[in-house]
Amino acid sequence: MTATPVTIPLSASDAPATSYQPPLRARLSRLVLPVYTALAVAYLFLPIAVMIAFSFNNPRGRQNITWQGFTLHNYIDVWSRPDITNPMLQSLIVAVVSTILATILGTLIGLALTRYRFVGRNTTNILIFLPMATPEIIMGASLLSLWVSLGISRSLLTIIIAHVMFNISYVVVTVRARLQGFDRGLEEAAMDLGADEWTTFRKVTFPLIFPGILAAALLAFALSIDDYVITSFVAGKTITFPLWVYGVSRLGVPPEVNVLGTLIFVVAFLAIAAQVIWQRRQARRQLVPSRAP
Amino acid sequence: MTERRDETRIEQAIARLVAEGQISRRSFLRRASRGGLVLGSALSLPAILAACGIKPLSSSTPIAGPSGSTGGAPTPIPKAAGLLDWANWPAYIDIDEKGKYPTIQKFEKATGIKVSYTEAINDNEEFFGKIQPDLEAGNTTAYDLIVMTDWMIQKMIRFGYLERIDKSQVPNFAANADSLYVNPWYDPNNMYSLAWQSGITGIGYNPKLTKREITTFDDLLDPAFKGHVGLFSEMRDTMCMALLSIDVKPEEATVADVQKAGDKLLKAAKTGQFRSFYGNDYYDELANKNLWITIAWSGDVTQMQLYDNPDVKFVIPQSGGMRWVDNMAIPNKAAHPVDAHMMMNFWYDPANAVPLSEYIGYFSPVKGVPDMISKDADAAEAKGDKTTAAQLRVVAKTVNPTPDQLTHVFNYKRLTETEELAWNSVFEQVRTG
Amino acid sequence: MTAAIRRLRWAIPYLFLVPGGLWLLIFFVVPMAVMASISLQTGSLGTGYALTWNFGIYPEAISQFATQFLRSFEYGIIVTVLTLLIGYPMAYTIAFRGGRVKNILLLLVILPFFTSFIIRTLAWKLILADQGFLLGTLKAWGLLPDGFGLIATPISVISGLVYNFLPFMVLPLYVALEKIDHRLVEAANDLYASRFQAFLRVTLPLSMPGVFAGSLLTFIPSVGDFVNATILGSRETTMIGNVIQSRFLDFNDYPRASALGFVLMAAILVMVLVYARLVGSDELTSG
Repeated sequence: MTATPVTIPLSASDAPATSYQPPLRARLSRLVLPVYTALAVAYLFLPIAVMIAFSFNNPRGRQNITWQGFTLHNYIDVWSRPDITNPMLQSLIVAVVSTILATILGTLIGLALTRYRFVGRNTTNILIFLPMATPEIIMGASLLSLWVSLGISRSLLTIIIAHVMFNISYVVVTVRARLQGFDRGLEEAAMDLGADEWTTFRKVTFPLIFPGILAAALLAFALSIDDYVITSFVAGKTITFPLWVYGVSRLGVPPEVNVLGTLIFVVAFLAIAAQVIWQRRQARRQLVPSRAP
Repeated sequence: MTERRDETRIEQAIARLVAEGQISRRSFLRRASRGGLVLGSALSLPAILAACGIKPLSSSTPIAGPSGSTGGAPTPIPKAAGLLDWANWPAYIDIDEKGKYPTIQKFEKATGIKVSYTEAINDNEEFFGKIQPDLEAGNTTAYDLIVMTDWMIQKMIRFGYLERIDKSQVPNFAANADSLYVNPWYDPNNMYSLAWQSGITGIGYNPKLTKREITTFDDLLDPAFKGHVGLFSEMRDTMCMALLSIDVKPEEATVADVQKAGDKLLKAAKTGQFRSFYGNDYYDELANKNLWITIAWSGDVTQMQLYDNPDVKFVIPQSGGMRWVDNMAIPNKAAHPVDAHMMMNFWYDPANAVPLSEYIGYFSPVKGVPDMISKDADAAEAKGDKTTAAQLRVVAKTVNPTPDQLTHVFNYKRLTETEELAWNSVFEQVRTG
Repeated sequence: MTAAIRRLRWAIPYLFLVPGGLWLLIFFVVPMAVMASISLQTGSLGTGYALTWNFGIYPEAISQFATQFLRSFEYGIIVTVLTLLIGYPMAYTIAFRGGRVKNILLLLVILPFFTSFIIRTLAWKLILADQGFLLGTLKAWGLLPDGFGLIATPISVISGLVYNFLPFMVLPLYVALEKIDHRLVEAANDLYASRFQAFLRVTLPLSMPGVFAGSLLTFIPSVGDFVNATILGSRETTMIGNVIQSRFLDFNDYPRASALGFVLMAAILVMVLVYARLVGSDELTSG
């Protein structure tokens, strides 16, 4: 698998590397980074491996911390445990909705901050920064007092509002890292070629900043699906997955929780695999005509 | 028991009749439940209440302090609203293989009350922090029934956040409650709370690692165990056990005593004696040998011996252990208080307490539960289901404290706000330095 | 028509700002203003709190918990440096060598964090237990002394923070590295003697926005964190987040908890401004 940069089509970075054989030392040194990254990814996945292993455990007590035998029962039982699956559903709803909203709102702010000079830019910068610097409990408690003073009862909606709020800043900062030093020449070239602003955005700007938006959305999703402190204050009667797991950890986390974690993991993994295959096909299809004389 | 300043004369007369007729009514109910009319009490409750003219703890009652005046306009006849919002801790109720709550369903079927059961409580303090603003503002918390640990019940009573319980609406309590749970330290005469489940705090240890048997609280401070000792991050258990070790009964402790007990712990803490201060995660640390000796809950160690680490032992130190109780209570402005009373009454019927205990295995506040579980075990064995029978026999042993366990356990102190802050400050020193 | 639109161009950034800005204004600034007023109140839960403009609570709170403040910032800096050291090569590899599967590698980095924090941390405690399969094995081989342990030390708290905030570093780094024009890197490779020098002179400076963003996203939440110190730490690793949590929930000492929160925010803000100057980022410092 040679490295072919996706977004900068003019580059031919690895062409020389493949056309001649570098000395052994150089070839080995090229392996250092991939091996290092593989190790780092393995480190990230170590606890996940433990989680998956214990989803097959057959604990007889309340606690699921010592290996007591292999079973597949947990994978059947989990579907008859609405007390576990409902919170997961709530969490997924909150995470998806709040990620979409926060990504849109945050990207817009990121665009405004990096592409325009305007009065109030510094204030906005500080406004973006503050939610990240606020201890979660202070944020949770302050939002709770807002709802109480307005007499609004807490629900799924108030959770989503809170999650969008704390996610916006993370999206802005991530997207901004992409936009900074953005080559405006590409946009100008598109405009010179007769594209209007919207077309330029669609065909040039958006594809270029998309990796940033994707990264921001991933971050927002991860933050949202695992938030405990703020959610606990604004949740009312809605139970999200982290709330349930935290509470049940008093008595022992049942293996069905590991099963759900494993399933989410597997689904995401399969989605990734499907995307890889699809991309390969696309690439092959594109290769054929381009080779034709 | 409840003060009713503006009662009409007729109602007063009826109340007197109720007081005089109390015993006969109780025995009627006992008969009813024994005769298989499991929900007879609940079903006939409205009729009984109507006859007795008991007023419900209506949500129109002005918020009252701990002295709790529940006076008001002429009292309406209590009527179940047909709804109940109940917040409990996760995994604190029986669940069947379809994921339904069978005993709650039984209640719903018998009473026609729709129960909205949520596992919204993860932590006493955090749940309090979450509902406190509403209670303070005089809003409804959206819950009719909550389950809180004894000391939090006491705190909520202190702030006047709980509705009084009308005992006449929970006749099963007088009939079936184990005497241990009647008139508890945190709530004299059970005016605001009825026990849900309970347990004992003592010391858990692994003799293979400590290399000796443990008998006293001071063993936690043995330098030989340095770095492998656990204390609870919850102030009351840790401080009260330390108080007992300096021969002070927690209920009689002064702030000076607490300071003395705190200094004792602080001295050890500064040497790195304690590995950390734990919540529920002490279980894992003890089971997988990071902790050699720690403050622990009785039921957990039974679990651990059976399933996770057979070496671990539980002991109530010579100086004594603590008894904790989780309780059902009705927060202020609850929308459906009558329904909440019916639910409380329901759980004090052994026919309903037994399946709960068989599932969760803590100390049950209802008399006779262990015997009935043993009977269920016999029945299971007769049917040839040996696994279930064996499990039930284990559970039967864990759902009541042994007499031995009870001789050495003490109650927490009813703290005033000033005392609570002082105790917390001492403990903060020990815990965070 | 177009001229009219031109004249309204100044409004475009505000159009972009308004939805998100309003959201933050209503659901963050307004509640925080309430908390600011709470920090200046005196009283107790039982007697009720009243606004007394008690500014003295701020210096008092700082001096009372100076140790925990300093410790939090110390851990925050260590964590940021470590995640940068671990995360940069990862982000670099994904961005420059990831080929078509870049986005997928990126997703792999974040995937573990879709799992509940409790489950991940419990797993870590199992892996790092004194007698667990890692340390237990090393001890059995005589490579570690018997009394050696990782859990409940500063090492475990910092490792926990590093683990949990690594994606916050990797994602913005990747985002910044990925946009670097490869022709520049190649030109640098031609110009400078070694690849490493080329990296120092070209790639690293170009990736600074990512370094800055990643450091912010790692440093800020790790300074205020309390969960890692609660689960993986001991008495000697208590962070300011733990103090705020306990003041709020155990003591119901809302004024002091809020005051501590605001001090933390202010301290972080100062640190970040200093850092922005050092790194030469234009964010936060200039328009």
